[in-house]
Amino acid sequence: MSSTPAHAHHHAHHFKSADHEFESAKQGMWIFLLTEVLFFSGLFVAFGVFRALYPDMFHEAHKMLDWRMGATNTVILITSSLTMAMAVSSVQTGKTTRAVWSLVFTLLLACGFLVVKYFEYSQKIHHGLLPGALFNSEHLTHPKAPLFFSIYFGSTGLHAFHVICGMGVIAWVLKRTANGEFGPNYYTPVEMVGLYWHFVDLVWIYLFPLLYLVG
Amino acid sequence: MSHHDHHSDNEHSGSSHHFILPDKLAYKIAGALLFFTFITVWIGQFDFGKWNFFVAMLIATVKGSLVALFFMGLKYDKKENTVIMIGSLLFFAIFMALTFTDLLFRQPMNINPALLAPPKGASQFKRAWVSSPELLKHGEELFKMQCVSCHGDRGAGDGVAAAALNPKPRNFTLDADWVNGRKPSQVFETLTKGVNAMPSFGSLSLDDRWSLVHYVLALGPDAPKDTDADLVKVGIDPTKEDGGLGGGDKSIPIDTAIDLMAE
Repeated sequence: MSSTPAHAHHHAHHFKSADHEFESAKQGMWIFLLTEVLFFSGLFVAFGVFRALYPDMFHEAHKMLDWRMGATNTVILITSSLTMAMAVSSVQTGKTTRAVWSLVFTLLLACGFLVVKYFEYSQKIHHGLLPGALFNSEHLTHPKAPLFFSIYFGSTGLHAFHVICGMGVIAWVLKRTANGEFGPNYYTPVEMVGLYWHFVDLVWIYLFPLLYLVG
Repeated sequence: MSHHDHHSDNEHSGSSHHFILPDKLAYKIAGALLFFTFITVWIGQFDFGKWNFFVAMLIATVKGSLVALFFMGLKYDKKENTVIMIGSLLFFAIFMALTFTDLLFRQPMNINPALLAPPKGASQFKRAWVSSPELLKHGEELFKMQCVSCHGDRGAGDGVAAAALNPKPRNFTLDADWVNGRKPSQVFETLTKGVNAMPSFGSLSLDDRWSLVHYVLALGPDAPKDTDADLVKVGIDPTKEDGGLGGGDKSIPIDTAIDLMAE
């Protein structure tokens, strides 16, 4: 693993400079994140509407979720955001080895998140706390209770899908960082993956209290 | 920590004025995020009623802002990217606000298509105009589906849609100013025909309506009893177990009929 600066990156001809290219990439990334906010917003609106219509049912149903697992995953994601931020700053300052390890830790934390999620989902499936017609639980009697679990699986499932995609792109920049492709002169992909990963953390920061704490 | 401090130890040509998050600051932000996670979980054990939701969202927004400003670097970034971020939240707010505008101004009838279903066949309950634990239980289920949006979870007239209504929905926990009176037959009449902003619920089966009557009356102090004459006035024959209607009033209010035809 080399800690020497990456070889010079040649910006594409339609950009004035490498800086121009970087700023354009970042703006593109932010516009992508805007569409991501809208992607999740449908689920948040559905949560809001059904919670307003059936407040008692939401309160009862949310008690079926294990807040300890949710809190554990919150801690895991926040820590992974820290390691991701450190990976970006390490690449920017030419500390390739440190960047590689930071990305490895980020990947391991993401795996940890999915392991907790696996146990959580198994528990819900075991108790029949499932969306719509699949719902089969004696614990909740409200006729609309399956709705809560549609929202729960819909939003945490979409989020988990983002975690999996994040792991894919982290693995990709990890490989390229280890190959010495990035350094102080060129680190655009690492920073963009970082932005994506922090966004995944950001969504969870709202999902956790909404589903597990307030209900 | 100013922008320029980092400029000096960041000597590369390609992206010379990009902010590099110092480790110390990164640890501080992560520490603050973990601290706020602990706070939001700790605060969750207390019951502040509706405020729990707002407190949880406030803490989440503080955490989210820390992530966006420092980890995502918006604080040091070009302003355009902040505009994009805020723009996305604005679109989200429009989505949320307009959906709720609709929800708040809908008639309860339109929220629940179940209301438009034809009344169920023969009466399940005998002498449904007299309260019983079964009727109360059925009434509670119906109340949760049909009534809470205006009358509130506990029937105190404080549902989400109450804010938009004038006069305000009835507070069932008090024995004051009931427009048509508080005898079961009088409440039955109100429910069947509607009053003020409340639409008619005459499309519900007799059983459903009586169940709701008994449930809402049980939310407040003891109500006066019906005489046989009171029951006859609302079309019930108290000498027959099904009220002399052969299992359910098949007539529906004109408004409901028009809605059904329009569909």
